[in-house]
Amino acid sequence: MVDCRNVTKVYRKDAEELVVLNGLRLQVQEADFVALMGPSGSGKSTLLNLIAGIDKPTSGEVVVAGTNVANLGETELAQFRSHNVGFIFQFYNLIPVLNAAENVELPLLLTHLSKAERRERALTALKVVGLSDRASHYPRQLSGGQEQRVAIARAIVTDPKVLVADEPTGDLDARSATEILELMETLNREFQKTIVMVTHDPRAAERAHTQHHLEKGVLRD
Amino acid sequence: MKFLPYLLKHLRRNWFRTTLTVLAMALCIFLFCTLQSVLAQIQSVLDSRSAKRLVTRNSVSIVFDLPMAYEGRIQSVSGVERVAMSNWFGGSLPAKKEGKAEEGSSSTTDWSNFFPNLAVELEPFLAMYPEYQIPPDQYRGLLADQRGCAIGRKLSDKFGWKPGDTFYLESFIPVHRKPDGPFEFVVRAVFDTDPVRFPGTDTNLMLFDRKYLYEATGRKLQAGVYYVEIKDPERAGEVSTAIDRLFENSDHQTHTETEKAFAASFVAMAGNLSLLLNGIGIAVTFTILLVVANTMSIAVRERRTEIAVLKTLGFTSRQVMGLVVAESVLIGVIGGALGVLGSQGIMWVLTHAPGVRSLLAAAGLSELNLRPLVVGLGLANAVFLGFAAGVVPALGAYRARITDMLRTV
Repeated sequence: MVDCRNVTKVYRKDAEELVVLNGLRLQVQEADFVALMGPSGSGKSTLLNLIAGIDKPTSGEVVVAGTNVANLGETELAQFRSHNVGFIFQFYNLIPVLNAAENVELPLLLTHLSKAERRERALTALKVVGLSDRASHYPRQLSGGQEQRVAIARAIVTDPKVLVADEPTGDLDARSATEILELMETLNREFQKTIVMVTHDPRAAERAHTQHHLEKGVLRD
Repeated sequence: MKFLPYLLKHLRRNWFRTTLTVLAMALCIFLFCTLQSVLAQIQSVLDSRSAKRLVTRNSVSIVFDLPMAYEGRIQSVSGVERVAMSNWFGGSLPAKKEGKAEEGSSSTTDWSNFFPNLAVELEPFLAMYPEYQIPPDQYRGLLADQRGCAIGRKLSDKFGWKPGDTFYLESFIPVHRKPDGPFEFVVRAVFDTDPVRFPGTDTNLMLFDRKYLYEATGRKLQAGVYYVEIKDPERAGEVSTAIDRLFENSDHQTHTETEKAFAASFVAMAGNLSLLLNGIGIAVTFTILLVVANTMSIAVRERRTEIAVLKTLGFTSRQVMGLVVAESVLIGVIGGALGVLGSQGIMWVLTHAPGVRSLLAAAGLSELNLRPLVVGLGLANAVFLGFAAGVVPALGAYRARITDMLRTV
């Protein structure tokens, strides 16, 4: 499902070059649940951004669901993200002026679905994450764990092939974190979603089928 | 359209700021529509003036009279069809006579119902003004009665006056007053106009025989201005020059111009009104552009993370840019609609408030209204302002990289 081949990512600031990923290779099978770990600055989030198609490698190939994101233009990348990737942020990043259902419905505005169909799918996604009774609640009326579940519903509502999560439990208490991880396991197990998760938390990483450790832009195992 | 609820929700995010921005836009469009309506009405009045009519006045100023003996000499100029002497009477309804003065009040005049009134040589004047259409029997009655007057349909409707009714006027000009009190007038004719053939013609006007004024004031009255009808409008310049040349070595030199130029000179008394009003409009518009652009810039800066999220979800940069511009245009449209409504409201008030209505009527602006073209231009202006104000912040949103914006969280 994900195949990173000799991926290099270099950030340039003035004359200075910062090599974040250095010839990295990574393969993630379909329906796999992978955790990426490593110290700050090791390139975890950069790798996640490349897989999600929100950034492009300096060199190498990042093939996700059969598409090499390195070859896509800006508009094609946006369409790629819309169809193939669900992104779960550490800080949920829900739109505060929209209620839970409207937040979940947001990616569906890019489809040709009718208003009723969009609503129905959003409510279904909220049901999957166990928040169908919070559909009309605004983010400020939800707990951190509930907000993250709404964010997960938003990530899965378009039925993407890959879910990428950037420290999804990083801003949650232990109990909420456990609930979120259980939900992600469910999505992986029952809905066959391929999940790539960046985390600092070893307990969260234990939920994954595979753990990879990054250090100075290369995988150590 | 499916993005409209999303845009409206964003506008409600900071309702106080949105309200102020919308009100600023509304003020801009209100001023634009109102000022343009005034200019359009002035232009309409000027355009209604016939190219066949000239006005000869004292070259020093309109406030100085001309000798009555000039009439025959002007009539003798080649190309002149007919001449009519005229004096601006400046009469208003005397409050005491009309029973409107309050007990103990020193006021003798009811200024709230002021309307233009002219003492003219009726026959030649009405002959050169086909705009004023009078039934033949009323016309005969008007000429037969020296106290008789012709009033426009608007005056008739306003005061309920009909042929045979009597009213009094007293002038604010000392030489137009008589010692025994206000002038008495009898309505002998009510004139109409054809708005298709003569657009812009105002019937908020009263005309009466100049002889009445002349004799009642002791035969000391001179001519205020001469209205001159010419045979060929193409020769207006040539005839004007010929008239003025007749009197260039006299004590009362003349200045002859087309009626349109004469009317325009009244407007010019307040300076270049068009330049002034348009200057105000442009200054306000530019200020509002800056205000809205600033608001949109702040709104976009506050929403950097949301823009990143939208792009992450699959919105293209163009779509995100479109949302920002659409939000700004929406502010423009709402503000524009409010501005147009406000302008319509103020014009209704101006044309219905007693004191102001009379002032507008005296200036020939009693037909002041919000024209569809001005409404269209006002709304287009609002859309343009919204668009222009939103473009720069939208370009920022367009160019912004997702990773950079998420890093600022």
